[in-house]
Amino acid sequence: MKESLMDIVCCPIDKGELELDVEERDGEEIVSGTLTCTDCGEVYPIEDGIPNLLPPDMREDAVA
Amino acid sequence: MTRDLAERRGVETEVYGAAEDSQLLAEAAAEAIEPGWTVLDCGTGSGHVGGAVADAGDVRVIASDLNPHACRRAQDRGLEAVRADLLAPFRADAFDAVLFNPPYLPTDPENEWNDWMEVALSGGESGREVIDPFLDSVGRVLAPDGIVLLLVSSLTGFEDVLEYAEKRGFEANVVNEESFPFETLSVVKLRR
Repeated sequence: MKESLMDIVCCPIDKGELELDVEERDGEEIVSGTLTCTDCGEVYPIEDGIPNLLPPDMREDAVA
Repeated sequence: MTRDLAERRGVETEVYGAAEDSQLLAEAAAEAIEPGWTVLDCGTGSGHVGGAVADAGDVRVIASDLNPHACRRAQDRGLEAVRADLLAPFRADAFDAVLFNPPYLPTDPENEWNDWMEVALSGGESGREVIDPFLDSVGRVLAPDGIVLLLVSSLTGFEDVLEYAEKRGFEANVVNEESFPFETLSVVKLRR
């Protein structure tokens, strides 16, 4: 994801602001890291450049 | 087009491929979207609609899907992918346009596959079990003059979808339409 995506996304649960923590960057692209809700503290992973903003109870792959 | 979910599934089980409905929505979107807009391709699937919009002009396209395989395909097409449940992780007023080709086929609850194609196609018993929650929340993420382009099939109940949208404060007009032996597909433009 690009850092500018931060202006578009929020916590899926309470719509709170997210805080970006970058683990790996490739130029403009954030490859891995986390997004943490500044209200509820829920942590959302960024993996292979894609933020997973599903609420925790939906995060597991329910189907194949 | 076929009305049979089993036939329409084909052999692909991971990501719904672009079909007539995707094409109809992509055409309408290319027409309606203006330079400089930020656009959400909600439930992007193969990334076809979002990709077509991104190719057509100077716009920023965010592609979201519940399905991780679809997210990866959208990313491979150069779109900004977000794994999301409908509109839940997007900020208020974030988008000038939201595009949605929803899962809309009415499905017998006893006839389920429990794979990603089912998620991409099935709209539950009514065909509207994904469309209704989408219409409940899309107003929040739209900029004040923003538009929604929603694909509606006659199989889902065109009037029912429009009535629901109007109850949510939207004005609707059809901007693209095509008839097939078993269904008519319409792209409806919603604005407040």
